[in-house]
Amino acid sequence: MIEMFEFTTIVVGIFISFCMFMTLYGKPNPLRSWAEFSYLACATAVSVVVALWYIYRTAILGIQGGDLILIASLILGAMMLFRMHPEYSYVSRIPLAFTVGVGLALSLRTIIFTDFLAQISGTIVGLWTGIPLDFVYGATIAVSVITMLTFFLYTTEITGPLHWSARLGEYLLYIGFGAIFAQTFMGRLGLFVGYMGQCTTPTWKIPYTLVSAIVCLILAVIFDKTGLGEKLSAT
Amino acid sequence: MGEEKGFDVFKRMATYDKRWIYVLLFILVLAPLLSPIGMPISVSDWTKDYYDKVNALKEGDIVLDSWDMEYSGYMELKPGVLASHRMFIEKGVKLCITLNHPEGLAIPAEVFGPLKSVMDQYDYTYGDDYIILGYVLPNEAAVASMATDFHGAVSVDWNGESIAGTFLDNIKDGGDFVMVASYTTGIVSGAIIRHFGQTFGIPIVRNAIGVMISAQTAYLDAGVIDALLGSTRGGAELEYLIHAPGPGLKSMDAFTLGHYMLIIFIIIGNIGHLGWKKRAEYRESTGIR
Repeated sequence: MIEMFEFTTIVVGIFISFCMFMTLYGKPNPLRSWAEFSYLACATAVSVVVALWYIYRTAILGIQGGDLILIASLILGAMMLFRMHPEYSYVSRIPLAFTVGVGLALSLRTIIFTDFLAQISGTIVGLWTGIPLDFVYGATIAVSVITMLTFFLYTTEITGPLHWSARLGEYLLYIGFGAIFAQTFMGRLGLFVGYMGQCTTPTWKIPYTLVSAIVCLILAVIFDKTGLGEKLSAT
Repeated sequence: MGEEKGFDVFKRMATYDKRWIYVLLFILVLAPLLSPIGMPISVSDWTKDYYDKVNALKEGDIVLDSWDMEYSGYMELKPGVLASHRMFIEKGVKLCITLNHPEGLAIPAEVFGPLKSVMDQYDYTYGDDYIILGYVLPNEAAVASMATDFHGAVSVDWNGESIAGTFLDNIKDGGDFVMVASYTTGIVSGAIIRHFGQTFGIPIVRNAIGVMISAQTAYLDAGVIDALLGSTRGGAELEYLIHAPGPGLKSMDAFTLGHYMLIIFIIIGNIGHLGWKKRAEYRESTGIR
């Protein structure tokens, strides 16, 4: 048996979700504003609490354990807060520069292997492995890489065979963009289907989901037709 | 475009109200979820590879389980996460779970709740078999720090309890993990590769959201990651492979219908656009309205 608190949380959650979906209606809607601001407030509150807990567990406990260098990280973190003060905001540049520098140094150390050398060696593949389909893949990679690279030649006039290679590269790029778009659609549909699955499992949620959807749609139409949406919505 | 009189089917096809697409998509997604059709799916080589890699783990192997996702992303990765963790539990793999987004703290209950019966069956318990470290990998520096000095970076779990005396005593640095299992929407997915995969050569298996698949494919082809589950579809395939139907297989009908709908609307839009343009050119050239 589901508890009253859990039941209320789920039902309100479903209703807020559909209020948020009303952004797809394309007109100002106070329910959407309410849902959006509620979400922002909750997400910010959760982030702040979790971040403070993180600082306690990694820094405060570390200092108590004798790792005194962590005091410097706390000071740098506190300096970051000066960003909110117009007069002393320049102080925050020091920890910011430190963060950017450390991040870059840490990632550049290995990114040259994972995103550059490994990609090049992954591109240079044997064309014939004995499997016809592998030959198709290998040949596609070889042709695509060469023609697309010629498309990005900017320092020379693209004429003759280079022109046709660049043109082919351009069309292959379009195919690539199409594939990326399809994967993006699949991903976004995945989010929606996953959430709708959540809203319909277990089955007792189904009436609340359907009622929320219908009520929100009717209210969106009413707000639109009466002009109330414009008046009541936050900008 | 020239001004035209009367009903123009091409114009209607090119300029219909896009809100009808949303309504139709909502119906097409919800209907098969309420009443599944059971359309067939095939299992890709990617998923078979992922299954083989996870299946090769032995009892007692310690896996870094990186939940690199926020709550919304979990909706897409849920089938893969549930199916993978069912495998981990059944195989007796020990999990060191990190949550890489503040919203991620809500996810463990969503994962271990549905798997409770399996956990009870295999006597899989918190502390002995899995430990949730909580929000410990927010950025590149944190990942690098954990990879080089595990206990220097983490000393307590997400409840503030000390991790000393647990199976994590065997972990000194990233090289002591047998594998990294990464369920990612892209928060520190690159850093995990760089500081665990590249530095220590730890195998990485990954379940990524749809928008990341193109980028992750390049890593997979280059051997930077070892296996890839693609979005919800990959999760559904894994459910099929382990004979444990769940949210993934249930949602595949909705997925398929949604994709058909997109294809049909792309065709309608293009026919409408081309037809309308051609007629407009004709009207412009002849002056006939």
